[in-house]
Amino acid sequence: MSAVAGAPPMAPSTGAPSGKAPMSQGKKLLYAILGAWIGGIVLFIILFGFKSHKAPAVASGVFSPTNEFKLDTWFKLGPVAFNKGVLYLLITVAITIGVMTYIARRLKQRPGRLQTAVEMFYEFTRRMSRENLDESMERKYFPLIATIFVFILVSNLIGYIPLPVDSGESFNVFGAAIPSFQIYAADTNVAFPLILALGVFVLFNYEGVKHHGPIGYLKSLMPGGIKGPIVGLIFPIEILSNFLRLISLTVRLWANLLAGHMLIAFMGGELGVLVGDQWVQWFLLPAGILIFLFEAVLIAGLQAFIFAILTAIYLGGAVESH
Amino acid sequence: MQFLHLFSSFHPFLGVVEPIIKQAQDAGRAIALGAGAGGGAAGAGAGIGAVFNASIQAKTRQPELREEIERDQWLGFALTEACFFYGLVGGFIAFFL
Repeated sequence: MSAVAGAPPMAPSTGAPSGKAPMSQGKKLLYAILGAWIGGIVLFIILFGFKSHKAPAVASGVFSPTNEFKLDTWFKLGPVAFNKGVLYLLITVAITIGVMTYIARRLKQRPGRLQTAVEMFYEFTRRMSRENLDESMERKYFPLIATIFVFILVSNLIGYIPLPVDSGESFNVFGAAIPSFQIYAADTNVAFPLILALGVFVLFNYEGVKHHGPIGYLKSLMPGGIKGPIVGLIFPIEILSNFLRLISLTVRLWANLLAGHMLIAFMGGELGVLVGDQWVQWFLLPAGILIFLFEAVLIAGLQAFIFAILTAIYLGGAVESH
Repeated sequence: MQFLHLFSSFHPFLGVVEPIIKQAQDAGRAIALGAGAGGGAAGAGAGIGAVFNASIQAKTRQPELREEIERDQWLGFALTEACFFYGLVGGFIAFFL
């Protein structure tokens, strides 16, 4: 089944009315796509039946939806096992460093398109860290915040480009076995957000302890103006919420990307494979395309933004006194 | 489960009880996943609605603050949306572990 958004050539114009007034171009296209969609559902039901049989791999339980996120070790370099998650991280690092140094080397008076984008991004992160951190902290931590932003953004975005990394399946091109194409993001493995969040967590606690002293930092966790026996109740909650920041930073990035990729896979055909009905795949394909666009346009950037601004907020909150 | 095994040596219907317990466990897991995902979606949906409601009201009252309001709106959106995933992850943990 082809995964194209436009109308396939076999589009029957079932939905189009035989009106006398000429339709506008956009309306014609809309009707053609709608007709192709409904016609495709009917065609698949006629061809394969409403209730079809499951694929052998699904019926025997060999195929599982979570296979998409399984990390097969490709080869080992000493203690480092190399798998597709590592490959994605290396691609991310290469793109991040490459684009940024390329732009920084050849800054021009009259910026080109890429330089304008990078400058806008610089202004954006600069303002973000300036609003949440004071002067000396901002000077120190702006590079970290901007790096986190661009690193997570690139890592999320290359997760929506199909790359030949699925070692479980392969297809032949002129005799060469090529791994099948797959969308995978390094963020769908919990280790990647966890290590970023752990770094941020250690850093803002270190800054807080350095600024207030160990006892003073614990005191500064309390909201101001609380006295009496209620302190014994509030204090454990505040300590707990300090540690929950680690979990919430991790789970927010990880689960967003994991659930997004699972939804794209399910809507883009996997659900049809699992229930064994071909028409279900065609039926759900528009939802798959919509979710793909939503994830790639909004969620990828939003999660990078959230992680970076929360880093700034936590760092700023650690050194500020109530 | 362990409690039932204590009696199993002289229980005549062990063969009948065992698959029922297995099915009940499966049912409980499925219910946990459904409650986690469904409850999380309901809560996050209400929360996201509240965030956009407040944002629209603020923007119509103070159009000149549009940029700052929208930045806070997306911050609130992402923080609220994450709550759905806490529920979902809890459901998955109950389902698979």
